[in-house]
Amino acid sequence: MNTTKESFSNLFSLEDVYFDIEGKVILSKINVAIDNTGITGIIGPSGSGKSTFLRLLNKLISPTQGIVKFKDSDIAEMKSQELRKEIGMVLQRPFLFKGTVKSNLLYGPKIWNIDYIDPELVNLLDTVSLEADFLERDIEGLSGGEQQRVSLARSLANQPIVLLLDEPTTALDIVSEEIIENTLKQLASEGIKIIIVTHSLEQTKRLTEQLLFLKEGLLIEKTTTKDFFKQYNDQEIRSFFKNKEGK
Amino acid sequence: MVSQTLIDIWNSLRQANIWIRIALAFILLLVLISLSFWQKTKLESKLIWSFLRGTIQIVLFGSILSLIFGIRKLWMLYLILFLMCLFAAFTNARSYPYPRLFLIGFIAITSSSIVIMTLVMFSYIFPGFEGIIPLDPDTLELTGEYVIPIGSMVISFAMRVSGIAIERVKSDIIKSKGNIEAALALGDSPYRAIQNILRESYRAGLTPTINRVASLGIVTIPGLMAGMIIGGVPPVEAAIYQIVIFLMLLSASFITSIITNILFTKQFFTKKQQFDIEFLNKIAKLDNQTTGALLKERWKKWREKIKRKKKSVETTD
Ligand SMILES: Nc1ncnc2c1ncn2[C@@H]1O[C@H](COP(=O)(O)OP(=O)(O)O)[C@@H](O)[C@H]1O
Ligand SMILES: [Mg+2]
Repeated sequence: MNTTKESFSNLFSLEDVYFDIEGKVILSKINVAIDNTGITGIIGPSGSGKSTFLRLLNKLISPTQGIVKFKDSDIAEMKSQELRKEIGMVLQRPFLFKGTVKSNLLYGPKIWNIDYIDPELVNLLDTVSLEADFLERDIEGLSGGEQQRVSLARSLANQPIVLLLDEPTTALDIVSEEIIENTLKQLASEGIKIIIVTHSLEQTKRLTEQLLFLKEGLLIEKTTTKDFFKQYNDQEIRSFFKNKEGK
Repeated sequence: MVSQTLIDIWNSLRQANIWIRIALAFILLLVLISLSFWQKTKLESKLIWSFLRGTIQIVLFGSILSLIFGIRKLWMLYLILFLMCLFAAFTNARSYPYPRLFLIGFIAITSSSIVIMTLVMFSYIFPGFEGIIPLDPDTLELTGEYVIPIGSMVISFAMRVSGIAIERVKSDIIKSKGNIEAALALGDSPYRAIQNILRESYRAGLTPTINRVASLGIVTIPGLMAGMIIGGVPPVEAAIYQIVIFLMLLSASFITSIITNILFTKQFFTKKQQFDIEFLNKIAKLDNQTTGALLKERWKKWREKIKRKKKSVETTD
């Protein structure tokens, strides 16, 4: 896909970012730059603000304070809808729209007037390892794993340059998880930037090259995955993942 | 004006057959009382009191109606319609206690009903057409006699239907939060992301009335038509009238629902095509306390109160 050298230095950068809801601080004093080397993981205990962090990147929420930059420009100045076309997002649950797989895949392209012919849609399904005959199937009849793959394909139909994923395989069986991970690796090798929230250390090891570690709304660590697992032993890492309630 | 009405009441009371009717009613009441006496039901004082009170109330109500029906000044007709809209919005906001619903309902109900009513009231300007709302035959003016009852029907209908639609939209948005966010994340606008939800809410609001229209004459004879026939209007004419009224009710309801839905759902989103999380949380909290549950609670409290009263009466006996 896009192999020309990009003219920006960082894919995302956050400068002194705070986020509160109803007076409660969810994220505080986040300063970080995410460049475009490989897949980036976001890890941390539940409730640490991972999903919130991810939503800041495609402007589903805006920081209470501070600046979020995409390709070196402040996203506050950009149109939300255009930003979201470039930045796809897959959530923990597929959230498909009623209807066929095809109508789901075409939801984004219709907004952006991107024309698709059926063979292209079949190719799209192929990237998430679904057969061509899925195109006309109703989403009601699909398994959870198949639905999540359709959800991923639906985001890809917009031809984004970045993909944000929020625990995409948490609710899935091992086989579906593996299919999705393989798809992500394939996409990364084609030049799509991927940022994935996960609470699985194994997934982190398998997929990511660098990771951000969040705890109680603070960015504790940003490092390469290799260094992270070299630096801390298993017990230390497990203790990181305990949140306040000890879960 | 008030004194004029009192004179009117007096004049109508002076007509002989009014007194014959009253006398007949009095005889019937006497019969009732003696029946009660005979059967030892001890209802005599209650009967007298109820009928005395009821008669005064209904005569007062009738005279207020005749006061309103006598209105011929256009600005006063509009003023009364406007006040009814205010009251309807107030009632709606009490049944559906969501942020800004009073103002939103007021804007929506007022604009749609006033538009519909104006169209209907001035339909007589079509050459050769005497108008949907009958004019005073002598002065050819619009009178409260027709404008106010029809207006109140249109307004209360629009209020109820838009209330149903709002309730539906609110719970559907909360239920489909994830899907809406998925649509936003694909670059959709909030308005388009909730199109399906809006569509379903209009269906929910309008379908019962549409079904009623389809069953007209077979299952139901609406009150208005029945009243007109009793009042001496030829049945076929009354039937056509009823259809026109239903069309007015449906269009006013539809317009009101569209306006309330658009203004109400706007609050769920920010200008940056995001969910307004705080608003959503606030509404979701209200949602756990549905209107139905609230009413049930009130009903329970009320019954307990009655029980307590009864008990205290029994113990004092
Ligand atoms: N819509 C919301 N309203 C109120 N609080 C929220 C909302 N979404 C998230 N939070 C709070 O923000 C914190 C971080 O949430 P989240 O980003 O979802 O964490 P994570 O994804 O790491 O589990 C949690 O304490 C959560 O309760
Ligand atoms: Mg999360």
